[in-house]
Amino acid sequence: MSSERQRVTGDFNPFNLLTNYDNIVDFGTTVDPWWREFLPWLSQLEPQQRHQGVRTSRLNGIGNWVLETKGFRKWSGAEDGCAEQVLFCEGNPGVGKTYLR
Amino acid sequence: MIDSLYDTAGGKDIVVVALYCDFLAQQKQTTTSMLGAILKQLAVIQGIPEYMQRAFQKSKIWFDGQGLRLPDLVKIMKKAVTARPRVFICIDGLDESTPKHRRELLKSLREIIRVSPNTRLFLTGRPHVRGEIMKCFGNVVQIPISPTPDDIRSYLEKRLESDTDPDAMDDGLRADIMRVIPEKVSEM
Repeated sequence: MSSERQRVTGDFNPFNLLTNYDNIVDFGTTVDPWWREFLPWLSQLEPQQRHQGVRTSRLNGIGNWVLETKGFRKWSGAEDGCAEQVLFCEGNPGVGKTYLR
Repeated sequence: MIDSLYDTAGGKDIVVVALYCDFLAQQKQTTTSMLGAILKQLAVIQGIPEYMQRAFQKSKIWFDGQGLRLPDLVKIMKKAVTARPRVFICIDGLDESTPKHRRELLKSLREIIRVSPNTRLFLTGRPHVRGEIMKCFGNVVQIPISPTPDDIRSYLEKRLESDTDPDAMDDGLRADIMRVIPEKVSEM
């Protein structure tokens, strides 16, 4: 067994990577067949598919105000060991929680 | 949100992984399959370390290829998040998972982020899951989401642009729509 299975591309967004694994033919790259067995073993769920759907139907600019809130900046900020590791966006159905850009 | 985190935090040092809970997929979305889906994203980013390959081999030989058990999964995920300088884990629609799976998922996530102070958790859900989240994590930044009048206006403009029956529209009606709907929605 090789010590570590290497990544395939230079992309660092896992959603792009997993989408590429799905459409591997279109990309013309050869992927170690081992991955095809390994990834579904980790989980059968494929959140990248939903993400593609959200990406194409959301509108730019909507919900951007969240990124400007003090709470968000503190949470996402560079200070390590910040007290709040968890951010919770709550809202009723249909207010756009999923579609925050 | 996922894409924004990439844009704002930028750089190769961060990883954003995400999961959408789905009411209609409750059968499939167990605690292990949800955590596994997160681990899968970390795995494609960092390559598969030897300890993960060993777990896979072992399961193939001894357990008929059955997936990881929750405690092993949590153990592996702890290693995976601490291997990166900064990991953002986003989970959308927590209220759509079953109470049992949600409880286990939150508890597992708490264990995982505890060992890695640079890891951040982004959760969304309806207000009724707030109590569970607060109880589980204690320290939580809360942001109530409701569309701003500007958000609603952008949305309306987009919808009007793609109107399938543009002849039925005139300037007066358009102006009324743009004025009344954002007002009414913001009052809700």
